[in-house]
Amino acid sequence: MRNIPERWIHRVASELRRPVRLDDEFDRGVMDAVRAMPRHRHRPWTRMLRARTITVSPMITGVAAALLLAVALSAGHFIGVLRANRATARVDVATDRSGGTKPGPRRSVQFVLVAPSARKVQVVGDFNDWDASHQEYVAQHRGGGVWAVTAAIPEGHHRYSFVVDDSLWVADPSAPRVLDDDYGMPNSAIVVGGGDAAQ
Amino acid sequence: MIRSTRATVVLVALSCLGQVAPWRGASGQHATDARLARLDSTTRRVVAAVVDSARKTRLPTEPLIDKALEGAQKGADGGRIVTAVRGLYTELRSARAALGTGAATEEINAGANAIHAGLPMRTLSQLRSVSQHAGRARVTLPLTVYTDLIARGVPAAVASDVVLSLARAGLRNGDYAMFQRNVRLDIENGADAATAAQTRARGAALHNAGRL
Amino acid sequence: MDGSTDAQIVARVLRGDAELYAELVKRYRDRYARYALHMLGNREDAEEALQDAFTRAYRSLARCEDPERFGAWLFRILVNRCRTVGARRGRRARTFVSDDLALHDAAEEHPAERSAWREEIERALSRLRPEQREAFLLKYVEELGYDEMSRLTGVGVSALKMRVMRACDRLRELLSDVRDDREVRVERRRPEVNDAKHS
Repeated sequence: MRNIPERWIHRVASELRRPVRLDDEFDRGVMDAVRAMPRHRHRPWTRMLRARTITVSPMITGVAAALLLAVALSAGHFIGVLRANRATARVDVATDRSGGTKPGPRRSVQFVLVAPSARKVQVVGDFNDWDASHQEYVAQHRGGGVWAVTAAIPEGHHRYSFVVDDSLWVADPSAPRVLDDDYGMPNSAIVVGGGDAAQ
Repeated sequence: MIRSTRATVVLVALSCLGQVAPWRGASGQHATDARLARLDSTTRRVVAAVVDSARKTRLPTEPLIDKALEGAQKGADGGRIVTAVRGLYTELRSARAALGTGAATEEINAGANAIHAGLPMRTLSQLRSVSQHAGRARVTLPLTVYTDLIARGVPAAVASDVVLSLARAGLRNGDYAMFQRNVRLDIENGADAATAAQTRARGAALHNAGRL
Repeated sequence: MDGSTDAQIVARVLRGDAELYAELVKRYRDRYARYALHMLGNREDAEEALQDAFTRAYRSLARCEDPERFGAWLFRILVNRCRTVGARRGRRARTFVSDDLALHDAAEEHPAERSAWREEIERALSRLRPEQREAFLLKYVEELGYDEMSRLTGVGVSALKMRVMRACDRLRELLSDVRDDREVRVERRRPEVNDAKHS
């Protein structure tokens, strides 16, 4: 990494760190919006049903993640593949449990995200109507920050994303990206199934 | 998020009781897709009309519904969803015009994404003829690679040239995956995006020609 | 409510005391307005993103796993909102105007010069790629560690370091002429300041 004159960068940063103050009009705007929403109600049982976070030390997490990645890569699996592994079994539409409404043959596709700090990771995309509620697309934590789920995805071109902790949209770091300025949140692309394009 | 969860609960409950009956769209001629229930009524009406137009002109309708559902899930307001769906409709129409009426749905989808990313229609048509000449029937993968290159900062003209050269070389599916992966890693390691794409494209074409 | 922790306030809001949310707004409004302003470049967009973040946080408050760290959770929502608002402006040229919200402290330099320097910094910041600007602001202005930045953005640490490095390189390039002139002016003024003290 090049040597950046730290003193100069810090001068720029300290200029940018100057306080900013909004007026009370801003607060009124927020509270008007809050008052228009339904009030929260005390539901003590929701805490019991919520998944627990298991804390692992950063070093163990890092080593485990690296080992798992090495195993996955050496087995020839791309994390977030451009083309689904054609050796996996085709899943008939009739047995599809995803709740999606897409016709056509499906293939098993594995989605993997390394997110050591996540408590929940889901895959949403056009193959499940962007609906995060389907259990079939909730990733399992394999350890070491590696989250994975295998789902039956219809053949064709699809857009998808990971949703982390119900709030953070994360594009698949190793999959092709889609330029998504419609909604400002990143998406990835995947092409599933079909034979080699040579005809 | 709360809105979509509630809508899902309502739909599940209704489906347990019997079926979720679609309601008539504004035209009264075709039932509106029940999944659009996640949208507010005004947005739903407009989106349904766009979907109807697509159906009448034999364009794929699923991408339009997906675009609306994506917006609902991401909390976009109705106006933004309508803009996105209308924009996609135009792009799908352009993609099909450039690729020809025999284009597969996946090609039209990938083509619409590429047009959205800035691919000129004439380049899309060129890609079709170059691919066919090289013995490859579908252009889904080169189009996906094009969109990815643009998203990673490769200038449009360079991305077009790169993708055409890959298509001309008749790359196989696995080679496209390897190309995309190599360019991504090069950029992550600090390479200039255009240089990475051009360098890897030369390598991929040579490799395919069997000179390596 | 001054003595209450964030967790205590969140608990009361969740029990139905919505008006208390105003305290959380007051606590984080100015600090996060600074980030939104530098990220988006103008007051209107910054206020929109910030207000949106506060209302989304209220709506999802029951899902805040660690109310003691409400601020960090809110900040993650804001980072996402800034991406959305920024992307919506798309490829239109960004214009940074002088920050009329910033407090101007008494300074050694002439106020007009400080404004000009500030404008140059903002202009240079606007010319960074959004992801580089985001990484630079989080690292040097918000002074977060890379692990925290990774949790906020969903981007890996090495990619974040690369973005910060590129941002610094680019800022140095853009500001080098301005910086050199400015340092010469400050140096020239020093004898006058010293003279004033001794007279």
